Amino acid sequence: MTDAAPQISLPTRPKRSIFAICVGIAAVAMTFVCASTVGFSFIEIWENFGRTNPVAQGLLDIRWGEMFSERSRRAFLETLQLAVLGTAGGVTASLPLSLWSTTIGNPHRPSRYVLRVFMNIIRSIPDLLWAGLFVLGVGIGALAGLLALFFFSLAVMSKLIADTLDGIDIGPIEAAHAAGASHTQMLRSAVVPQILPAFASFALYDFELNLRASAVLGLVGAGGIGTRLAFFQNQQRWDQLWGLVVMFFLVVFVVERLSVTLRRRLV
Amino acid sequence: MTAAATRPGGGGSATDRRPVVLPDRARDNFRLGLSLLFAILLVWSWWSVDLKWSRLLEAPADMWRLARVMARNIELSELGELIGLMWDSISMAWVGTLIGGVFALPLAFLAAENLVGRPVAWVVRQLFNVFRAVPEVILALLFVPVFGLSPMAGVLALGLHSIGSLGKLCFEIIENIQRGPIEAADAVGATRLQRLRWGVIPQVAPELTSFLLYRFEINIRASSVLGIVGAGGIGTKLAESIRFKEFGTAGLALIVVVVGTIAVDTVSGAIRRRIVAGPDRSSDDIDPLDQLSPEARIEAETPGSAS
Repeated sequence: MTDAAPQISLPTRPKRSIFAICVGIAAVAMTFVCASTVGFSFIEIWENFGRTNPVAQGLLDIRWGEMFSERSRRAFLETLQLAVLGTAGGVTASLPLSLWSTTIGNPHRPSRYVLRVFMNIIRSIPDLLWAGLFVLGVGIGALAGLLALFFFSLAVMSKLIADTLDGIDIGPIEAAHAAGASHTQMLRSAVVPQILPAFASFALYDFELNLRASAVLGLVGAGGIGTRLAFFQNQQRWDQLWGLVVMFFLVVFVVERLSVTLRRRLV
Repeated sequence: MTAAATRPGGGGSATDRRPVVLPDRARDNFRLGLSLLFAILLVWSWWSVDLKWSRLLEAPADMWRLARVMARNIELSELGELIGLMWDSISMAWVGTLIGGVFALPLAFLAAENLVGRPVAWVVRQLFNVFRAVPEVILALLFVPVFGLSPMAGVLALGLHSIGSLGKLCFEIIENIQRGPIEAADAVGATRLQRLRWGVIPQVAPELTSFLLYRFEINIRASSVLGIVGAGGIGTKLAESIRFKEFGTAGLALIVVVVGTIAVDTVSGAIRRRIVAGPDRSSDDIDPLDQLSPEARIEAETPGSAS
């Protein structure tokens, strides 16, 4: 034993997981099929970016003043108003709806189930699709945008609140029951106070999202600054389009920083 | 001390009934101010927004009428074409997610303060923030004139935006790893690359893969509407049917989008959970989202939007 080199015992290599191999193969296959479906080619990217194009040209002589023109300013204000109203409505409605879709808030199983399916459907519809739907239903204008933001907020908020509700402390609920609270009283005094700080911070976040979303709603005719974006796109006025986009997202960026700071204080 | 604690000056009375002491109502000027600010904003918006509020009451009836018109005009012969277009959208989302991943994953290592210096991390993070700030639809709007009406514009729009959002999630996960394996790698004389390969990547691989799938689910929602600005997929058909008031097509397309999205969510969600749980399901209830900061977490959980 003395002159022999010490035996190194390596841990045994974990077995190759069949699951990992299958997922890997599926992912590679999916990539090839998808890439051919969309006609992906590096050459196309290279060629298209290499050429001078009107959009890049527009960025070079960007019109900074566009945001302050009469029409754009009005469209921007409408965007802001829609975001505020949509957030207020959606946030208010989301609290009872998400309470009713949890076991604590709604002991009645069938209605809970129906509500959950409904919420899942709402969550699978993106903001612009809501806007398109309401434009068809109630006509072009701010009302369609408002309704779209309402439902979009509902989707965002209910998901976030549901996760918060999963993690609440059961103690206060038992205390409320022990003190003879009715169901509503229990929710009011034992559940809502626990989620309120998180709820407020979600509401702020939802406002940020809505501000961003309301910029694109106008592309389908649902009011706000997107109306101007669609107009410039049609007219191919890229200098003005860039001016509006850059200015608007500066505003969004400032609002986001502000909201992140406030949210940190809230929670 | 116990009696005195119930109420100052209230103890020592002859009766057995102790007076009930309610805690002071919490006062918070910060929250009060914030609520007031929002109340003012709300009232201002309510009065000045350019819409007739009476129309809001008619909206449910309008939507009901729309639903009936849609149901009546649905032609099932269009189903095949719509499913094909939805597949286009799903493909756009997949390729877009991969483009995002190819750039975001390496960059995320450069944004983690435990692996690189602070200045480098800061620069890379700001890069992520810029990509994250611009909505996919706006990017697509700008790419369509460059690429023409092909899905490529949409793919690149999704890809660029995903770099930002994926990068942000991934670097937070990388920052949360345990130092042990890195120290072990250093102790046996690993080079920088070997340290990364053996000390860092095995710790974060499941989480990062699951975020990639997560992003894919979110990108499907975005890609199904990108067509509205002409970037391919089912959105193009949807925008057309909205413009020309083809209610039946719009209704059927809506159903295809909802069913397709939920179906992909279900499959992808199951794979994600299995990846994170590991082969023996030892960590069944560990959610990678729990490792994120609250801000990144709510962003990761936001269901689909194109903005």
